[in-house]
Amino acid sequence: MRTRRLAPLALLAAGSLALAACSSGGSGDSGGDGGEALDSLSIMAPYFSTTPPEDDDPVGAKLAELAGLDLDMHWVPNAEYGDRTNVVLAGDEIPDVMVIQQKSQGFVQTAEAGGFWDLTEHLASGDYPNLVTENPEVQQAASVNGTVYGVYRARDVVRTSITIRKDWLKNLGLEEPTDTDELMALAKAFTEDDPDGNGKDDTYGMIIPAWGASIGTGSPYDAIETWFGAGNVWKDEGGELVPSFTTPEWKQALDYEKELIQNGYVNKDYATMDGSTQWNEPFLNGKGGIIIDVQSRASQLAGLFKEKDPKTYDQFVALQGNIAGPNGDFALPTPGYSGFLAVPKASVQTEDQLKQVLTALDKLASKDAQILENNGIEGDNFTVDGEHAVFDKSKQDYTDLVSGSWAQIGTNVAGYEAYKPKPETAYDEELENERLELQAKDLEKAAFNPGAALVSETYMTNGVQLDQVIADARIQYISGQIDEAGLDAAIAQWKSSGGDAVTAEMNELYGQLG
Amino acid sequence: MTAVVDVERAGTPAPPAPAAVRRPRRRWAKVVRFRWLLLMMLPGILYFLLFRIWPMWGAQIAFKNYVPFLGIQGSEWVGFHHFQEFFSNPDFPRLLGNTLILAGLSLFVAFPLTIVLALLLNEVRLSVLKRTVQTLVYIPHFLSWTVVVSLTALLFAIGTGPLSSFLDGFTGTETNYLADPDWFRPLILLQTIWKSTGWGTIIFLAALASVDQEQYEAAVIDGAGRWQRTWHITLPAIRPTIIVMLILQTGEILNTGFEQIYLMSNALNRTVADVFDTYVYFTGIQQGAYSYSTAVGLSKAIVGLVLIFGTNWLAKRFNQQGIF
Repeated sequence: MRTRRLAPLALLAAGSLALAACSSGGSGDSGGDGGEALDSLSIMAPYFSTTPPEDDDPVGAKLAELAGLDLDMHWVPNAEYGDRTNVVLAGDEIPDVMVIQQKSQGFVQTAEAGGFWDLTEHLASGDYPNLVTENPEVQQAASVNGTVYGVYRARDVVRTSITIRKDWLKNLGLEEPTDTDELMALAKAFTEDDPDGNGKDDTYGMIIPAWGASIGTGSPYDAIETWFGAGNVWKDEGGELVPSFTTPEWKQALDYEKELIQNGYVNKDYATMDGSTQWNEPFLNGKGGIIIDVQSRASQLAGLFKEKDPKTYDQFVALQGNIAGPNGDFALPTPGYSGFLAVPKASVQTEDQLKQVLTALDKLASKDAQILENNGIEGDNFTVDGEHAVFDKSKQDYTDLVSGSWAQIGTNVAGYEAYKPKPETAYDEELENERLELQAKDLEKAAFNPGAALVSETYMTNGVQLDQVIADARIQYISGQIDEAGLDAAIAQWKSSGGDAVTAEMNELYGQLG
Repeated sequence: MTAVVDVERAGTPAPPAPAAVRRPRRRWAKVVRFRWLLLMMLPGILYFLLFRIWPMWGAQIAFKNYVPFLGIQGSEWVGFHHFQEFFSNPDFPRLLGNTLILAGLSLFVAFPLTIVLALLLNEVRLSVLKRTVQTLVYIPHFLSWTVVVSLTALLFAIGTGPLSSFLDGFTGTETNYLADPDWFRPLILLQTIWKSTGWGTIIFLAALASVDQEQYEAAVIDGAGRWQRTWHITLPAIRPTIIVMLILQTGEILNTGFEQIYLMSNALNRTVADVFDTYVYFTGIQQGAYSYSTAVGLSKAIVGLVLIFGTNWLAKRFNQQGIF
């Protein structure tokens, strides 16, 4: 029995160290080629398409031609990208360029220890015109306390919106809501007044999926809280940063959310519904009628209705932007970027190599490259009609592949220059115009996160656990599991277990950079 | 299964050498004598060296502020800082409690059920029936946790799942079984029982097969009923197996739950669902807090050790043979 008796012990002691196992000394020689010029550029990036592009992908070949370097792409499914980033950072095979999706502890610690090139000066120098940002605030927000470690991937600043069943509005003779009270009334009407007219009590108002255990991630809850005037993660009150969840507006918003849920105006499985696969379903099948999410949700839903019936599909989707709350009129913006392309020093070791990498990235951000990354290959899967791209229906799979993968290495910091898809019908165009209109309107009232660029040291070590305390308390409060005292206790716990230090450090940094 | 046990028994440098003569020649002779057994042990030894002992080198990052770029050697020592932080964290008692409760449920409810099922199967006379039932109860073992959890999600979906509607019919209220913290542990236990009870009977059935049949015959002659035979002959006969399996189970228990628990947890039941493994995954892999999560993992290993030694000690207290 001797081998037996070792087994559980060793398992216990070592099983937990799987982490350590994949982390033997990452500092080293992965790039391997010392000071010589790079002959290929390895890039790690996420993909959303069903499969990653093949090695001999035509877009890849053309991009390599533009960049002047072979591209060695490391595609990682988006769902596991965060995990993989942390594992790769701790491993030996570090690529030349990495898409960093979030300023996680693993990334920031590595960056502050000198593991990534500081690109602040290089990008400001103007040597790489396609990498010079048109929105310095966004670049600042993507930085770590002012140090720019990567070329950010630009995104629309205003994306939050409300998508509503248009036919239900019409059936009940209601208008799109313009403030939170009207939204509540609408959710109530969609639940209780039989909006689909089938005589059965089988509908509800708002569709909310399960959300990760963090705050300020663009969830429907975050949107409502911003509309109530609770700020956006942080709130500047008289020059001082306060966490949004310590404001009275936040609590007011939570009571609103609680009312929505307790009255049954929201799907019952709001805590478990899988947002990535099931969010659209109730809307399409006529179970729920309101979704608070990004604007592209509306066009996505319109597309799905179109698949069902191209003749009537324009009857179902109405789009509304950010709405006013009881304490003013605010919009929840995105940070304006979605991660950034950073250059690890482990593989790119000399200034010359860095220049080579940045030159390549500059080329990969040129207009020609943007078209390849976002549209595909002209004459193959799309043709150009004026300012728009017309996609070949028979090659839709390839178009999806391109936009689900190559678009991920696009930065577009100096402006988006690829073609926009040509609206197929008047309704598509109407939806697109409405989207642009709402963007312009909501931008004026956007509540930006004043602490976006700031990374507090304490937050780096326990921020995740701290966020989770609040996110869990929020949903527990809304679901009725805990009362106001419980919510206050959670906030007190946040403060005592590091939150107070985070606030103090953030304010110090805010003062320095402000 | 018996075959495997035999090999392992044989693998121990068993029959005590007659008169402990410590001449190297003798020892060498022993090596030669057991050469095939030693050879057979080699892959096992290599496995442990490579995948269990060697990674221990990396465990030192629990005592450092590990930054991958600086490497294990280059990172700065911080002593017990990460452990202090973890033990003073309000998460710690919660994690420990959740882990121990789930482990206890599995040990004190699921494990005895395995024995009961093995005893029941052992009593089945009709061999066709016995084999069919055995095959059927083994099947869930081969399903991955993802499948089991998906099935649970379908069966217990609020309002629409067949089982949740059925249960709601009794209580008259609509419960969200998947999100209700009170239902988390029962569901986990139910899944564990469904998935692993059948498979767990294999070892006990093997042990039961080796019980001396003459004892039963003698007992029957003495007028012992079925219950009495089970209680006085069968159970004592397989007691050593039960004890060994119990101790081994305690060791495994902290490791096995990750996938199941991770998949079953959500925002509303996290207070009872967070265990050491999910926490390590969350902080270490997802957030890149390498040193901190390694410290948490090591703390878990300590809890595991305590559990094993505890069970072993208890076994000895009750005059049973422990495993060490």
